[in-house]
Amino acid sequence: MSYDENVCKNLRKKIYLTAERGGLGHLASCYSCLEILYVLYKKNILNCTRENMGSKKRNRLILSKGHAGLALYWVMNEAGLLSGEEIGTFLQPGSHVGGEPCMRDLPGIEATTGSLGHGLPMGVGMAMAQKMDGLDARTYVIIGDGECEEGSIWEAAMSAPAFDLDNLTAILDCNEIQKMTTVEGTIRHTNWREKWESFGWLVKEVDGHDIAALEEILLAKNETGKPLLLIAHTVKGKGVSIMENNPLWHFKLPNRKERKVFCAELDIGEEELQNAESIFK
Amino acid sequence: MQRAYLSKLLELAENNADVLHLVADSGTGFDEMFKHSFPGQMINFGIAEEHMVAASAGLATAGKIPFVYTAGAFLAYRSLEFIRNDICFQNLNVKIVGMGSGLAWCSLGPTHHTTEDIAVLRAIPNLMILSPATPVQVSQCVELAYRHTGPVYIRIGMNNEKEFFAGSHDLPASGQNVLRGGGNIVILSTGNILENVLSAADELEKDNLLASVINIVRIKPFDETALFQEIMSADYVVTVEEHNICGGLGSIAAEALASSGMGKKLIRIGLNDIFAEGYGNSQEIVRAQNGLDAAAIAETIRRRLRE
Repeated sequence: MSYDENVCKNLRKKIYLTAERGGLGHLASCYSCLEILYVLYKKNILNCTRENMGSKKRNRLILSKGHAGLALYWVMNEAGLLSGEEIGTFLQPGSHVGGEPCMRDLPGIEATTGSLGHGLPMGVGMAMAQKMDGLDARTYVIIGDGECEEGSIWEAAMSAPAFDLDNLTAILDCNEIQKMTTVEGTIRHTNWREKWESFGWLVKEVDGHDIAALEEILLAKNETGKPLLLIAHTVKGKGVSIMENNPLWHFKLPNRKERKVFCAELDIGEEELQNAESIFK
Repeated sequence: MQRAYLSKLLELAENNADVLHLVADSGTGFDEMFKHSFPGQMINFGIAEEHMVAASAGLATAGKIPFVYTAGAFLAYRSLEFIRNDICFQNLNVKIVGMGSGLAWCSLGPTHHTTEDIAVLRAIPNLMILSPATPVQVSQCVELAYRHTGPVYIRIGMNNEKEFFAGSHDLPASGQNVLRGGGNIVILSTGNILENVLSAADELEKDNLLASVINIVRIKPFDETALFQEIMSADYVVTVEEHNICGGLGSIAAEALASSGMGKKLIRIGLNDIFAEGYGNSQEIVRAQNGLDAAAIAETIRRRLRE
């Protein structure tokens, strides 16, 4: 296992333990986009630091599928942007750390999300402002494939090429599953490449859990003048076999029996489980 | 009012390159003038109001001051969640300007009428709501919105409204103008129906019913204290609005009066929890079909006083 894979495995562990402690969490969605977030924050793509958080020149990331907030928090922690103590307050009374990222409550969160279909249109505004100000800065928005059922995604998709926003990258966390069933079972036609290309986007595809491939594709220069849609093929619940590709796990924590599978597959020992608090130090 | 709005916006845009004019295929000849003068400061999002509202929030996070402009109905209803989550919850410096409010889209019917916007928007925290009565007041409200850091909704009409204020007139800090005083009846009016309210007050005077008229411009935050001072010696408070009486100015007055313990009798005039009836080629024709012309307002007040 590579260094990065090992870090991501450790992040999955932290996400799970935090959700357990908070009593709720969208684990499967977190595990689906974890590598995407990790590459953005840790591989010289966003280049976010505590120092440049308020700078106009910064790159921006919006997690439009906000229910994967726990993954964002822990990746931000890994990047030195959010403390473990803060994350440790997850869902506790008086906490600023909730299930959906909130710009009001946490520095470094670029947009408050939770209601689907808001991140991409907000990202269009941000990318537009970066262009107006003549900045060499980019805006990244992570959207879900289920989220693409929202009409506002398509309003934004239609306008970004018209405004020549080649500094905008939308990353489609394409895990093919939504809350009740599969995306295909819901809307039948999931030909995302065709759809987005026809709207005027440059479309690329990648294995959304392959860190090296994500890094390479996200670092590549885009000289087409078009916004980029990166279809990241992912597995919802990636990393825990009973959760993978199963819609039942959209918003659920394991029961006692299932917990054993989580601990075995995430390498969480009995002692580690007892001392779970230590991850927040 | 539209002309006054765009003239004022042009002035602001000239002095501050961060001021942006956002439209959703909703421009007119005046907007072309804006585009001609400041092409980089006008953005047409096409027929996509939710997107325009969300993108305005994105622009505001980067220090831009977007003025989002289209028909009020497409903002207050269609884009409501985007106004709530993206602009108000994030407390961003976006100005939302709904034109053609009330029954101004007289020929098009209730899909275009903006007669519940105050009700839905005043329930949203962080949002200042301004409802000017005349073109001069539109200009003042745009200036006020510009100086205020945070979300503002301005509800304006169309064009050719009668002016009651001198160009130099300042909007009082209370956001309320007393146009006639000393009456035993105090009529509160909001928006450009003021003209009819003043005429109704004139009619009532012929019957020796003396009515004060207060124009309420700032709907939220609402200055209850200023209102209480004006109604102290009156027996009746009347609200007149081109809006549902449910949730609008009538409700605001009811809430204020109920908690004041002043024991005033309240008469609410507006749309009685209905979608407006009828069509016409002028706003006044549709107002008349809904009991909101001057004669009907006066008659409703007379009738209610007799009850």
